[in-house]
Amino acid sequence: MNENSMDYSVREYIKEIGKRLPEWLKDKKEHKEILADLEEHLWSKAAELSETGQPDEISVKLAIEHMGTPQNIAKEYKRRGEPKYYITKELWPYYTRALGGVFAVIVTLVVIGLIVSFFTGNGSFESLIGGLITGIQSGLLISFAIVTIIFVALSHEGYFPEDFKSKKDLELMKELREKEIEDGVSAQPLRKPLKPFIKPGGTIVGGGIGLIFGIILLSQPFPTYMLLPDFIAILRIFGLITMLEGSLDISRGILGNRRPNTHQALHVILIPLKLSVIPLLGILMNHPEIFPFFSEPWIHVGIPVEFYDEYRAILSVIIAITCLTTIENIYNIIKIQKYK
Amino acid sequence: MLQKLIKKVKGMDTEFQEYASKFESEINRGISTLSILSIINQHGEDGAYGYQISKDLQEQTHEKLVIEEGTLYPILRKLEEDKIIKSEREKEGRKRKFYFITTYGEKIYNYLSGFYSILTEAIAPLFDVSVHLKQNKYFYCPACSNKIDLKNLEAKYCDVCGHYIEKELDERGLIK
Repeated sequence: MNENSMDYSVREYIKEIGKRLPEWLKDKKEHKEILADLEEHLWSKAAELSETGQPDEISVKLAIEHMGTPQNIAKEYKRRGEPKYYITKELWPYYTRALGGVFAVIVTLVVIGLIVSFFTGNGSFESLIGGLITGIQSGLLISFAIVTIIFVALSHEGYFPEDFKSKKDLELMKELREKEIEDGVSAQPLRKPLKPFIKPGGTIVGGGIGLIFGIILLSQPFPTYMLLPDFIAILRIFGLITMLEGSLDISRGILGNRRPNTHQALHVILIPLKLSVIPLLGILMNHPEIFPFFSEPWIHVGIPVEFYDEYRAILSVIIAITCLTTIENIYNIIKIQKYK
Repeated sequence: MLQKLIKKVKGMDTEFQEYASKFESEINRGISTLSILSIINQHGEDGAYGYQISKDLQEQTHEKLVIEEGTLYPILRKLEEDKIIKSEREKEGRKRKFYFITTYGEKIYNYLSGFYSILTEAIAPLFDVSVHLKQNKYFYCPACSNKIDLKNLEAKYCDVCGHYIEKELDERGLIK
């Protein structure tokens, strides 16, 4: 082996390592630096192993053997991050967020599909509910599998969240890190931890109940012949509103205490949705005669005129409560601002 | 990754080997980084290049701690990323990359080596061995274990935790 063939062996070996380095490193300046370091290391080792102190045919071969296979060397660069099951601790929050986001999209799409099917008259109520459950179930399972496979693969390759950030963001992070170091080793900002702004479990259960109640009012799987058509129409609209509110609450529950911006946007959508109930209650107030009030056997007679005042008072209280719940949404929008 | 301190004895069962090897790696992970940092610190302003660090480590640990190339460079890269060390490439000749400890790195190193020394001394009786700290050479902060070189002793306070150390130094007769 002459000098050229020694060079060739080293070059080929380094090239092989380069090919096997993780993808997130390949576009970076460090990629070249790592290979230059390893090449230099190889030549130093070969020089030491040689009897003359100068790398030769045998010592280069030995040095390559000592350094190990390119796969083994490259493998260490992929070992980044703390293992947490099969997904690294660094990627774990992004994994749960991705799952939450995808689940929310799937639930929304399936519910929209159900509404469309209902209004186009495709299928009975039972088949629609069956379709809803199957759709959500299979959608969640498939998306869970896909998202998990992607994140396991990314963890295996040693990706970190910052590998997906723009150069501008990385520069900003670097500046902040340097500032932290300048401020001292133990200079940790003391900040009182904020309480979680949402109880995900309760919100999902509440949203689920709202969703089911809304579906029942919308599809009306009960005898309606004794109700007046105007009241049936009001019930349907009310069901649709309740269903949408329930879906939004489920989405908020799935998001949990993350993405404050999305939470705020959902609260903004919830306000007009809640207020849209008031005109319906207004119609009921002005037309007490359409409210179901039966005499035996299931004959609609309407509320007796002497009870109109009480009836209107109850509806007024419901309107006031509705308005108060929208104030709660506004309060939440302000409160969540602190979590950004 | 590292030279196995437990040799693969003929007849050693696979389950044992796997468990021992995993445990070994866990123990060695932090020690390797601290040892690399110690070598770079020893070289001071001259700095040390990768191969030199690897050779020094082998020699000073009597070949008990051998860090392979595939492990050494990722550790160096991580230390540089964390601003514990900095590097400079030779402009002439072999263009080797020399690593130097930063001021921040020195502070981290003193603290961690103090912590590790105190811990080693404390757990030594568990394994029926004795470890003696060089109390005539270093002062270990009683509050945080930070290692303070008595040669460079100027401040009255620990530079990591701010503990007032003058009284302890006086009691040990280290203040002239």
